[in-house]
Amino acid sequence: MKPVVDPKLCKGCNICVYICPKKCYSRGAEISDMGYFDAVVDAHEKCYNHNRSGKLLCELCILSCPDQAISWHPETEEEQSR
Amino acid sequence: MELFDFYRKDRWPHVFCPGCGNGTVMNCFYRAFNDLGLSLDRTAFVGGIGCSSRIPLYINSDALHTTHGRAIAFATGLKLASPELKVVVFTGDGDLGAIGGNHFINGCRRNLDMTVICINNNIYGMTGGQASITTPHDFMSTTTPSGNKEYPFDLAEIAVAAGANYVARWTTRQVHELTKSIKTALQKKGFAFVEIVSQCPINFGRRNKMADPTQLLDWFKESSVRRDKARAAAVDHVDLNLAGQITVGEFVDRNRESYQELIGVVKHG
Amino acid sequence: MRAQPGEYFLQGNEACVEGAIVAGVRFFAGYPITPSTEIAEGLARRLTGTDGIFLQMEDEIACISAVIGASWGGAKSMTATSGPGFSLMQEAIGYAAMSETPIVIVNVMRGGPSTGQPTRASQGDVMQTKWGSHGDYQVIAFAPASVQEMFDLTVEAFNYAEKYRVPAFLLSDAEVGHMRGPLTIPDKIRIVNRKEKGVKRSDEAYDISDELVHPFPVFGRGNKTMITGMTHAEDSRIEPEDPGIHQELVKRLSEKVLVNRKDINKWDVMCPGSKTMVVSYGAASLGAMEVAAQDDRIGLLRLKTIWPFPEEPVAEIASQCDRMLVCEMNLGQLYGDIKRVALEAGCRKVELLSKIGGDPPTPNEVRHKLREMGAI
Repeated sequence: MKPVVDPKLCKGCNICVYICPKKCYSRGAEISDMGYFDAVVDAHEKCYNHNRSGKLLCELCILSCPDQAISWHPETEEEQSR
Repeated sequence: MELFDFYRKDRWPHVFCPGCGNGTVMNCFYRAFNDLGLSLDRTAFVGGIGCSSRIPLYINSDALHTTHGRAIAFATGLKLASPELKVVVFTGDGDLGAIGGNHFINGCRRNLDMTVICINNNIYGMTGGQASITTPHDFMSTTTPSGNKEYPFDLAEIAVAAGANYVARWTTRQVHELTKSIKTALQKKGFAFVEIVSQCPINFGRRNKMADPTQLLDWFKESSVRRDKARAAAVDHVDLNLAGQITVGEFVDRNRESYQELIGVVKHG
Repeated sequence: MRAQPGEYFLQGNEACVEGAIVAGVRFFAGYPITPSTEIAEGLARRLTGTDGIFLQMEDEIACISAVIGASWGGAKSMTATSGPGFSLMQEAIGYAAMSETPIVIVNVMRGGPSTGQPTRASQGDVMQTKWGSHGDYQVIAFAPASVQEMFDLTVEAFNYAEKYRVPAFLLSDAEVGHMRGPLTIPDKIRIVNRKEKGVKRSDEAYDISDELVHPFPVFGRGNKTMITGMTHAEDSRIEPEDPGIHQELVKRLSEKVLVNRKDINKWDVMCPGSKTMVVSYGAASLGAMEVAAQDDRIGLLRLKTIWPFPEEPVAEIASQCDRMLVCEMNLGQLYGDIKRVALEAGCRKVELLSKIGGDPPTPNEVRHKLREMGAI
């Protein structure tokens, strides 16, 4: 599974960038339609849940995100092979 | 149930500021509630006035948004009139510990079944950043422009002294421990109190050189010390709970008779 | 649990307790305050050990808040207090009005302002009952003048609170609350219960349109109710910024009471054709009652409903008389409105007999004033 940031909900607080133990996120440089510099998932293959389904190993970003902007999505075959 | 079955999706994005700890607590609360398999139709939520007191209005359940400081009193009537309902109160440091102080301590003493989640952001956030009874000494706020001359309350210790059956405190930096404590609190008979030290970047952090929410989270992490360990240290005065530190952990988990048991109405929600 | 129909001899406050039980009170939260404490003590005895709840809370604000919370849990709930406690409750009373929560508040008025005369009567809180909380709202308030009315009007306070989803008041005082007298509890008593969302029933409350008084969404029935004191829209969504929604809500809160004045207004008239009418209520009317009973020249309009302000009975009586004398145990609170309505309706002169200090105006004091006015 990989984390996906919802651009309609993210307010660019960057707590996910800070809390992720594997540094999967980075601060965004592009302003979203909502007016925020959304965080970017730029290394989902480093995530503890890469190539995992069922019980997830780490959910610090999801639990911490104040705007419920992050959710788990299944990875494509190509993404799984990274 | 999914997150947005629990919360009212049509009210998103919510009004809380970027980086506000309220949203983090909402995640943990949902996890705890859902893991326990509790039902929203058999739960009622009560809030006072303040940012965190608005959380009940975001939940897909019966919600009572009351007057400033009085949530526990309203919840007392609601619970006794409808004992089969589980009653959860969301409140803040000022709402609970300042204007609501009398209802807070008497609620602990009376020990009626209810779960009280106090999100302590050390400030009156909704109204723009005035000092609260948990603002640390010397800190800046709009009503303490030369630094807070007063010393703060330790809300969790007050709950212990006043008789609550379960008292825990965590910060929004400890999401797993926080979720676990909320789970315990939801299942506890009597008055269960969970205080969560949470970041208010815009109205607290910004005026105290911690405008970025991650700076506040770092401060929480560095200041947190397990209560049992901290007890060993000698202290001169109370400041951010103990000599500049935030004591965290489960403070008390006891089984004093709940108010319903005392009056003979044993229908735990 | 409720008292059997029959004849009793009780204290006014005790009669209020019996009235509350007959009306179906299931939750009472109180705080000791003279001269209302007997009501709390009576309900403590009567509710303990039943499925009703009696609770002594830490202060009056906790009492009124718990009473509102209990009403959302579906219980008919009540508190009783006097001046200082009544002042503390005002914020929550405004909340009850804004959130349309049916509750009953008994105020056994005593000498004020402030701590004043704890054991002596007054009618000093009459204006406060309607205007005590901030903002525009209407309440329903009854003023008993006998032990019987302490019973009857407590039942009515519950009925009207339920019917119109408002805070309803029993405005008693230390005289009527503490006097002892006869009480008849009849076989059949009209009891009104709130219109409940999702429940169809034949009940007076269901006769009012849903637009004016929304069905009450009891907590715990899966309604996902959202109740707030902030300005809110139909689905209870908070909308403090929208002037239109605010206007619609706040106007309806008043309108639902004002358009139903005919249903809510209650009064008694002695010697209706008299050219001089005394207008009074509660303990202040006791002296005038005796005068009117003994002297055909003097009539008495005794108001039992104080709020909403009883324009219609005052105007009707005023249009048929030359002079009015308002008797109040305060420095003149209803006097201003009575005078305005009466003069507009054609009455020539409206005067005030104001008596404070604790004793109701005596029959001789009323006669003396009437003589001064040239009425006798």
